[in-house]
Amino acid sequence: MERLELKHIFSWLHDLLVSTGLGEPWLSVVTYLMLGAMMFGALSVIALFLVWWERKISAHVQQRFGPMRNGWHGWYQTIMDAIKLLQKEDVRVTNRDKFVFFWAPVICFVAAFLAYIVIPFGDGLIVADFNIGILYIMAVTTFTIISLLMAGWGSNNKYALLGGMRSAAQMVSYEIPMVASILVVIVYSGSLSMVDIVESQSGMIFNWFIFKLPFGPIAFITYIIAATAEANRVPFDLPEAEHELVAGFNIEYSGMKFAMFFLAEFVNMFTVSAIAVTLFFGGWNGWLLPSWLWFLGKTLLVVLLLMLFRWSYPRLRVDQLMEFAWKFLVPLTFANLLVGAAFKYLGWYW
Amino acid sequence: MGDLRTEEFVVNMGPVHPSTHGVCRLMLTMNGEQIVDAEPVIGYLHRAIEKICENRTYPQCIPMMDRFEYVTAMSTNELFCLATERLAEVEVPERAEYIRVIMLELNRIASHLIFYGTTAMDCGALTPFLWGLRERELIIDLFEETCGQRLTYNYFRIGGVANDLPIDFVPKCRSALDVIEGKMSDYTGILNNNPIWLARLKGIGTAEADHALAWGVTGPVLRACGVAHDLRKDDPYSIYDRFDFEVPIAQEGDCYARYLVRLEEIRQSIKIVRQALDGLPEGETRTKIKANFKPPAGEIYTRIENSRGEMGIYIQSNGDKKPLRVKLRGGSYNQLQFLPEIVRGKGYLIADLVAIFATFDVILPEVDR
Amino acid sequence: MTKEELTAYVGGHFDGKLKLLDTGRYDPMFEIQPGDLLDVARALRDDSRLQFDYLCSMGGVDTGEHLEVVYSIASSKTKSRLDFKFSLPYDKAEIDSIQEVWPGINWYEREAWELYGINVRNHGNLKRFLLPDDWDQGHPMLKNWDAPDFIRMPER
Repeated sequence: MERLELKHIFSWLHDLLVSTGLGEPWLSVVTYLMLGAMMFGALSVIALFLVWWERKISAHVQQRFGPMRNGWHGWYQTIMDAIKLLQKEDVRVTNRDKFVFFWAPVICFVAAFLAYIVIPFGDGLIVADFNIGILYIMAVTTFTIISLLMAGWGSNNKYALLGGMRSAAQMVSYEIPMVASILVVIVYSGSLSMVDIVESQSGMIFNWFIFKLPFGPIAFITYIIAATAEANRVPFDLPEAEHELVAGFNIEYSGMKFAMFFLAEFVNMFTVSAIAVTLFFGGWNGWLLPSWLWFLGKTLLVVLLLMLFRWSYPRLRVDQLMEFAWKFLVPLTFANLLVGAAFKYLGWYW
Repeated sequence: MGDLRTEEFVVNMGPVHPSTHGVCRLMLTMNGEQIVDAEPVIGYLHRAIEKICENRTYPQCIPMMDRFEYVTAMSTNELFCLATERLAEVEVPERAEYIRVIMLELNRIASHLIFYGTTAMDCGALTPFLWGLRERELIIDLFEETCGQRLTYNYFRIGGVANDLPIDFVPKCRSALDVIEGKMSDYTGILNNNPIWLARLKGIGTAEADHALAWGVTGPVLRACGVAHDLRKDDPYSIYDRFDFEVPIAQEGDCYARYLVRLEEIRQSIKIVRQALDGLPEGETRTKIKANFKPPAGEIYTRIENSRGEMGIYIQSNGDKKPLRVKLRGGSYNQLQFLPEIVRGKGYLIADLVAIFATFDVILPEVDR
Repeated sequence: MTKEELTAYVGGHFDGKLKLLDTGRYDPMFEIQPGDLLDVARALRDDSRLQFDYLCSMGGVDTGEHLEVVYSIASSKTKSRLDFKFSLPYDKAEIDSIQEVWPGINWYEREAWELYGINVRNHGNLKRFLLPDDWDQGHPMLKNWDAPDFIRMPER
């Protein structure tokens, strides 16, 4: 079988459209749109799957069953939930800031999906291999902060505003240790491109950066902690801390707007896991099985880790959260970066 | 920047807030995210139980007691029956006393399991909540078999209990206790050494023993301040003086100490139930009282140790078949009015207040009555 | 201290301000004069043999002839317990606040004020809390209280 690559899909779509008699430039435009729709569809499926998986995992941690009614072990439960949310009345507060209130979930949703342009799902399965790939992801995911702030402000609700402010403070703080732990990897790969990073880890398992870096596990652990905070998940789920802020920034949202926040959260979780796999676990590198399957499997394992965090930890307090970021994570990641760079300079690595 | 103005603002926490355990409203004066002052506003659950009791005969009051404190309805049953029995000098058969102790202690375990779950949930950990409720279910099933109810039991009667235990109650109760005791290591394992849990609870909401006592705070909150005050030992009612158990105390007086004290109380209660099951005699379960039950004139204040502290009832009888006055006192009532004392001026955040509220284990029906 | 010793000790000390009543069951019940309330409370708390360090309960009673206020106190150290009470006429229902002795009485006094109309001097925080803030239908725990909006269900 031929290797699955995005350009093959593209040319297949292209040929399909040529047979309808469509001419340039519309031919390319439509092909790209269809490709985009396919990506979007695939990611939505992943997000829906993650929602279901989260519910099942939480249920099994808590010795419950979770969704059981819709299909085998409730496999299409989330699809039904999405349909329900689509049908729901869109309740809007009277004194909201109309523009900001409307666009917040949209921006959150779009920002979550934009990152997937540069994520290498497999060998050749990447939409665009930017030479600043990882930098691009960091830039794009930061949009989420703006959207949460917008949601908090636009709702005209003090709980929402507190939630929005908290999330802004939290995500800005954790961006720094996150970038610092990513930088170690970049020092060794010598490139910001996601494909280059993955290819420099090819070969045997010890070429994966988690083993190759002098203190690879530390870099990974600091990354995963910061990433948990970035994805607003327990123990760092303060923006939506249910028992203090009721629901945080999305308190006034209902129906599809809420669903967009909700799905974006799960897409974000997949994003940070995918980055973790790309940076530390060799991305698509593997044996025998197709590369995209390796990537998906590894990513889901990291997602599983995040989910287990969520269902076994209490929540930090907001000041403890900040202290942890600035007094512990930031110094640690910078020290790690310094040591990593020194080892690289001295050539003490394989 | 010279005329930059800051001001304290008031946040209404509740009446419908996920972590006020019912409908309590806390008016918080905030300076930024720090609490300057808190004022509980209660009364949302006021059902005038005391007034209703004045218009009912003594046996008819027992169902009202279930509604007074529905998390440990067995204790409220015991409270009223005990007071009436002391007032009218009704003897309770031996077997009924044992059954009562078994029920009271099982109910205490169930209540503490709810405490364990909700406290963890208020601090953001959802899993312990479900674990706690899972084991509580075993106890509730036992209650359901015994008296047909899962929340408002109405099981105790003046002079005994409504009916005897079901046939296989004793083995089922023993196996339920074994399960709960086995799960205790899970409970402590997931939270006790968790650094986030310690950071959330240790040193938060510290209460001084004298201060707490002056405010009438009793129960686990007081015992966490180092005062071994337990009415089962100090003023033994029913047959508690026959059982061998300890009163767990802690010295710190903070949220974590209260949590530990309650967990240890579950173990002690299991111990008491086991002894009671071993000693359960055969015989009558109820002394018949006259259909037209009229205790002699007199007045009595009776108190028992509930899972939330001292629960008391004042009954004044004028020799009629209806009480002249019933005054109920719940542990939560004093703890809730003590809450502002702990919070005021310490610079706690809302998250700390949630933890303090949860470890005080305040339930609102007991406050509002 | 047994109950008999306690009864004898309390009856014999405190200048005879506490008089034993025979209505008390299980625990001794004493009667005091309303004016002595603060002194008695302070003396009971500070007495080294009694050390009544906390207040269990306090509440009004409407006997139909007069009002009564009953205080139940206990000690966590000596494990002893007693009640004392005094009567008040309906038209002069006023008591002193004893928050300085047992601050935990705060809400009980508020409740007595709210439900029985017993005015509490020097309380400082007499606000409605069990009843609605705009309650204007009197004091519902009084025996002669009747609700103006009480509508009987029609007979079928």
